[in-house]
Amino acid sequence: MEAARVHAPVVRLADQQRSPLIAIKSVAKTYISASGSAVPALDNVALDIAPDEFVCIVGPSGCGKSTLLRLIAGLDRVSGGTITLASEPITGPSANVGVVFQSANLLPWMTVRDNVRLPLRVGGYRAKNEARIDALLTMVGLGSFGDKFPYELSGGMQQRVAICRALTRDPKILLMDEPFGALDALTRERMNVELQRIWQASGKTVVLITHSISEAVFLADRVVVMSARPGRILRDLKVGLDRPRAFNDVVGHPEYVKLTRTIRGLLDETEAKEDLLS
Amino acid sequence: MSDAAISQVIGIEAAAARAARNHRLAASLISIGGFIVLIALWETSVRVLHVPPYILPAPEAVAAALWSGLAVPITSKVGYYLPLWSTMSNAAAGFAIGSLGGLLLGSLMAEFDFVERLVMPYAFALQCLPKVAVAPLIVIWLGFGDGSKIAVAALLALFPMLINSFTGLRATEAERLDLMRALSASRLEIYRFVKLPTAAPYIFAGLDMAVVYALLGTIVAEFLGAQQGIGVSITEAQSTTDVAGVFAALVILGVTGILLHAAVRRLEHRVIHWSGRNRKG
Repeated sequence: MEAARVHAPVVRLADQQRSPLIAIKSVAKTYISASGSAVPALDNVALDIAPDEFVCIVGPSGCGKSTLLRLIAGLDRVSGGTITLASEPITGPSANVGVVFQSANLLPWMTVRDNVRLPLRVGGYRAKNEARIDALLTMVGLGSFGDKFPYELSGGMQQRVAICRALTRDPKILLMDEPFGALDALTRERMNVELQRIWQASGKTVVLITHSISEAVFLADRVVVMSARPGRILRDLKVGLDRPRAFNDVVGHPEYVKLTRTIRGLLDETEAKEDLLS
Repeated sequence: MSDAAISQVIGIEAAAARAARNHRLAASLISIGGFIVLIALWETSVRVLHVPPYILPAPEAVAAALWSGLAVPITSKVGYYLPLWSTMSNAAAGFAIGSLGGLLLGSLMAEFDFVERLVMPYAFALQCLPKVAVAPLIVIWLGFGDGSKIAVAALLALFPMLINSFTGLRATEAERLDLMRALSASRLEIYRFVKLPTAAPYIFAGLDMAVVYALLGTIVAEFLGAQQGIGVSITEAQSTTDVAGVFAALVILGVTGILLHAAVRRLEHRVIHWSGRNRKG
């Protein structure tokens, strides 16, 4: 009896570690279009994401992957099913979630530092934490750019500031919606390496949406492939590549080749089906 | 970006700034040259065509009238200073009331749909009405004092600010609103940190119009019967067929308008330096 009582908390802790940080259960989302008809965006999506995991979601355009991200971010509400963060159902935006948008989405009237500080000035926060802002900017290599305005920065630098801003409140989860889509290929690869480093250094759970198969395989622990509209999950693929990864080592790797082929095949198939329907 | 690349960029920017300065210099030379040619044409046409001075006085007659109005002590009852002070202070008060009112009403309309639905029809109707035509009514209500001048100026300044601030506040990008919502920002925080700065270029364009309209409104109210002001100076000069005097007062008003416009532009430049419109110049 005595032994069981001592062990009980240990078991619970192990349970908690196995339980997902983000649990998505049979989620559906239907939009009402301007003409009043119902447009199904997501259909029966189920996905569990563990703490510290890096998950990439790929899918054809308009498959509802951004919708899924908005639901996790608490910006939209599900039409059916449930999403929980750390076993709590989502009721709205949470301080435990940082969002990085498609464009850097910096406020042009604020300096880089003020942009990164913004999350500590709104939404009930009245914190002064200059040290954290300095540390974040230094982490992304922009320590000396705090007093610049966004228009004085390149696209890649702006997106790094946006990542800093999403991390200001030290959230557990980082949601990224095609964050590097607007960057040129070379800058994009550099940002991927950078993001991997930031993720490893900060220990966040990352959900990243992308069009790029190579980006997904390079970054992710798991790549989730979605179907054409209405979005469903076609396949959930584990990426067995060692970290930290470098593009030169990864691109020729048999695992990388196999995974990119599989994903491309799945995407071709689902898009072909959609073409037949339309 | 490396330091070398940055210093190169700074070098390019310095060259661009030099080129822009030269360009501005050339532009102002053209304006000054044009002005001189205009005055010369005016002078010769008055002389050659023997235009009587009660139709079009010669430039030197206007200059003389201007000088006689300016070369007096600042507190003198004759001359331009007292009327100008009266006109400017009333226009400034009307501008302040009208533009603040316009910003407030425009903000309420942009934030609350029911206010928009309530106010928009009247705003549209009044917008289509030449508001100067309302001035006689205001003079009946408020008399010949400063009150009616301020009221007409405020009424004219209100509308460009109302429409521009409303349009600007509604122009906020959806992605920026998503950002603020993701940060659980309150409505007031969204207004202050995102919507108002987004609307700032629109608001400044509105201020630019409002400042001229406020001056216009004051002058119109002065025409309708007042004790002092540049508008009174104009009607007095008119009653004695002192056309040179009317021209001189118009010059004063024109210069004042240009200075006010320049002041607003300068302020805009400082406040919204990040906007594309201000970065090119």
